[in-house]
Amino acid sequence: MSREFLLAGAILLGAARVQAQTLREYSSTRQDHGESRLAATIQYTGGTLEVVPAPAGILYALRLTYDADRVAPVARFDAAAPRLTLGTETLRQSGGVRVSHRGTPPAATIGLGTHADLDLDIELGAAEANLELGGIRISRLKLQTGASKTVVRFSDSNPIRCSEAELSAGAAELLVVGLGYSRCGEVDFTGGVGKVTLDFAGRWSGPIHLDANMAMGELVLRVPRQAGVKLELDKFLASFAPAGLVRSADGRTWMSSGFAGSSQQLVVEVETAFGGVTVEWID
Amino acid sequence: MSTSRAFRLAPAFALIALLVRPALARADEPSDVLRDVWTRLQQIAPGQDAQADKPKPQAVPSGTDAPTIQLHDLSHPISLEKSIRAAAGTPPADLRLTIPNGQARLGDFSIGSDQTVKGDLLVLEGTADVYGRLEGNLVSWGGDIVLHSGAVVSGDVLAFDGQVRLEGGEVTGEVRTMSSPAAEQPTAVAPSPMSHVLRSLAGTTGVFLTMMLAGFGLVLFGKSPLEVTSDTVRSSFSRAFIVGLLGQILVLPTFGMLVVGLILTVAGILLIPFVVIVFALLLVAGVVGGALAVAHAMGESITRRQMAQGRALSPNSYRYLLVGMACIFAPWLVWTLFGWVPVAGELMLGAAILISWLLASVGFGAALLSRGGLKEQFAGRFIPPEMLTDEFLWATPRYGVPAAKRPEGTTPRPGSRPSDGSR
Repeated sequence: MSREFLLAGAILLGAARVQAQTLREYSSTRQDHGESRLAATIQYTGGTLEVVPAPAGILYALRLTYDADRVAPVARFDAAAPRLTLGTETLRQSGGVRVSHRGTPPAATIGLGTHADLDLDIELGAAEANLELGGIRISRLKLQTGASKTVVRFSDSNPIRCSEAELSAGAAELLVVGLGYSRCGEVDFTGGVGKVTLDFAGRWSGPIHLDANMAMGELVLRVPRQAGVKLELDKFLASFAPAGLVRSADGRTWMSSGFAGSSQQLVVEVETAFGGVTVEWID
Repeated sequence: MSTSRAFRLAPAFALIALLVRPALARADEPSDVLRDVWTRLQQIAPGQDAQADKPKPQAVPSGTDAPTIQLHDLSHPISLEKSIRAAAGTPPADLRLTIPNGQARLGDFSIGSDQTVKGDLLVLEGTADVYGRLEGNLVSWGGDIVLHSGAVVSGDVLAFDGQVRLEGGEVTGEVRTMSSPAAEQPTAVAPSPMSHVLRSLAGTTGVFLTMMLAGFGLVLFGKSPLEVTSDTVRSSFSRAFIVGLLGQILVLPTFGMLVVGLILTVAGILLIPFVVIVFALLLVAGVVGGALAVAHAMGESITRRQMAQGRALSPNSYRYLLVGMACIFAPWLVWTLFGWVPVAGELMLGAAILISWLLASVGFGAALLSRGGLKEQFAGRFIPPEMLTDEFLWATPRYGVPAAKRPEGTTPRPGSRPSDGSR
């Protein structure tokens, strides 16, 4: 009888073993050797991510704390292209019972150099991201967020003109602050479900065209008071708070009073189904 | 404690007090205090010099039978780490390594300012100080890499379990560091089997009691629809399951068509919010009511079977619900008790979900078939309830009363009057 008990105990003890996280730290840095342009991709599966301008003399820097059982660090640089990929990629899951993260969460800090022109592509999974892109030379920006909370901030002016900012958010909360500093003439936004705030504060270098497509959720446009706004709205079961914009005769276009003469013209095309669009003026 | 012993221990206490005081001033938590104390003890303890642990600087001999470590590509540090780790476990005396187009060193190693080293370099258990030039990749294992002013590494630099200190040096390639995998850090505390059981039991009991309350409320205020739906479950089980399955498939299209239809009528747009709410409520009522009806049917069958075996029980809807719900929750109880077992626990959970879904589908189908318990068409009630008297049930043969055959020639023709002349 005692043997059966021992066997059962051994099985139970063995069965109770669970796989915990194995945290590792990884860093990757490259000095600036006069690269003039770079196609950079940041892919980050989960955890917290911070992107900041790198110190002088550094092309890029990655500091990562990650769970070695789940993800692998990625730092690939192809000098010939030149192309850069930083972040993490998910490992194929093996068997065993996984324990949810309650300890140290995975975290990454990425520094991007301020001397090379960047074609920047950011792909975020279930991450909480804080991206400070002010001062970085961004020639094109593409941001894809999944189920995440993302804050993109342009605290300083982009030294070069940015051809396009393509933003897409799944079930996410996205806040983009200082789009005026980004110097992107075209801003495309595609949203699924969530709250999205696009803030156009900053030093504009020309008119901005925003094309927004929002399925369900709230889209808030924060526009400097001195800017002229022309908004074309195609909505279906969605609310709209015009905030002083005047409706034109066709019924779909809304315009601010000083749009024609404004040096900061924002032309917005919004297509939304269920949700709401709000325009807020900022001083 | 004797006086002499106290005197002997006094310096030790004084030392600890000296160590702890500054630590207390800085640290916020007890663990910080202990760490700081330990660090200070390591700093002052004799014979604990970090240098003492380092092997004597020497070249690692190579050989034809020595393991080969490729250092020409450092972009996959994890695979490189495995091969170095396997070699690093060898005692220094037996250590042999082959570095293609390069060399391996044990202990501290430095490249002088007037020196140029060609090829890849692996430094094990020591600090690599570079003042001069290295034309290749540099890897350290268990030590730091220091690139002093004027140093040039025309390749990549990688430190395993160490730091790379750029003190004015230049690296044309990538600078990487990687910490050794920390011993399993169970920061995510795995719940013990007992806590899993208690937590699951609490959840299961909560759902069970909620369902019981809803069921008792239904018996109190809607006994008739519950019984009709329950009878539909018992009489048309397969039909109810198929209808339930189709119902689940058609729920969303129906809802969509309803909303689109209301939109097309323009005036109906105003009704959409109400329709959404009513539709959701009907759906919940159908699923929950159907599940309760299934429980009722199961309980009734079991109770009647027990009564047929001679047990004296009180046949009422409350008992039916209680027994039926206990049956439905039985797989969940098994999962509650043994769900923490890997694999088997997941199988139990899957089985419980599957069984619950099957029963809920039957209940939902029965609710649809009986139109929420209002129609008895599929309830197996061929005889009106008012006819279910004791006389009818016990006096009427199971297959009805056989009619007596009429004598020949007495069959009345259509339209003819009775031949006995009665009026």
